[in-house]
Amino acid sequence: MPAALAALALLLGLQLLGTLLVELTGLPVPGAVVGLVVLLAVGARHRGLVARAQPAADPLLRHLQLLFIPPGVGALTQLSALAENAAPLAVAVVGSFAAGLVVAGVLLQALLRRRASAPVTS
Amino acid sequence: MNAVVSAVVHAPGFGLALTLAAYLGADALHRRLGRPALLAPVLVAMIAVTVVLEVLGVGYDEYLASVSVLTLLLGPATVALALPLLRSGAALLADRAAVLITLLVTGTVSVAVTVGSLVAFGVEDEVLLTALPRSVTTPVALTVGATIGADTTLVVVLTLVSGVLGATVGPWVLDRVRVDDGRARGFALGAVSHGIGTARALAHSHAAGGWSSAAMVLNALLMTVTLPVAAAAFTG
Repeated sequence: MPAALAALALLLGLQLLGTLLVELTGLPVPGAVVGLVVLLAVGARHRGLVARAQPAADPLLRHLQLLFIPPGVGALTQLSALAENAAPLAVAVVGSFAAGLVVAGVLLQALLRRRASAPVTS
Repeated sequence: MNAVVSAVVHAPGFGLALTLAAYLGADALHRRLGRPALLAPVLVAMIAVTVVLEVLGVGYDEYLASVSVLTLLLGPATVALALPLLRSGAALLADRAAVLITLLVTGTVSVAVTVGSLVAFGVEDEVLLTALPRSVTTPVALTVGATIGADTTLVVVLTLVSGVLGATVGPWVLDRVRVDDGRARGFALGAVSHGIGTARALAHSHAAGGWSSAAMVLNALLMTVTLPVAAAAFTG
């Protein structure tokens, strides 16, 4: 339990550091995303930092969906705004979903195969 | 009797307890029924909480105050997304050119189709702003949505729709276009269906899951940087 709390404090600290950097630079990016990048950059060299974040990061990511329930409830209470534009939104979401999925799958597979057929193996 | 019920229902912890119970209950139900994608626990829990609040006459603002600790955890959860990316780091670096090209092309196509179809329908700017962040994972979509001035609650619904689509018809679509490489399948699912898609990819294999969460995080980073620019460009 102390490890989990220390890990949570570490993640919060990184988020606050991100917020600080956003304020200083005026970047149009959420502080938490900058915190993610910082953890990525530092964690790649210092595995100890990753191990220290793990006790909070693992349960948070495993139950990420729990955190979406409150905004989802808010959305369900405002369904009328969605219904007004239901048709265009449905086309946009389904269309970009299908296009993105097919493009990503086909393109990455083709690129990975091309590399695999070269003499380099992974 | 009524005063007793009211005291419980309006206690500060009620909303949080209700949300946790709904989540755990929906998760148990989901497992018992053999994990049907359409009954994603998050969807079932949302509907259950909404119905209970409605029946008991608890307002959304009061509920939101009760669950503020969950809202607060979205920040550290976003930071934690760095971990799955670091875990599959070596494999991704080995194929970095392929990954980057796929990421950029997919992001462009995704945003172009969203903007194109909404502009073709002639919808208002607010709707366009709400549809844009749906191409990123929910915690990031919420913060990006707030940055570009979208209706964040609708952003969540659209992101969830993408996720459920990915978990239900995603593998079928990939079969149709003959994508059988586990890495490419995982990456595609993560890029368009985020967390729910990643969970589906993990059921397939660990490699697919790693590539899926990597796609989710990389896509989130790319979109965080480009969406505010795109939003400014496409709206008046």
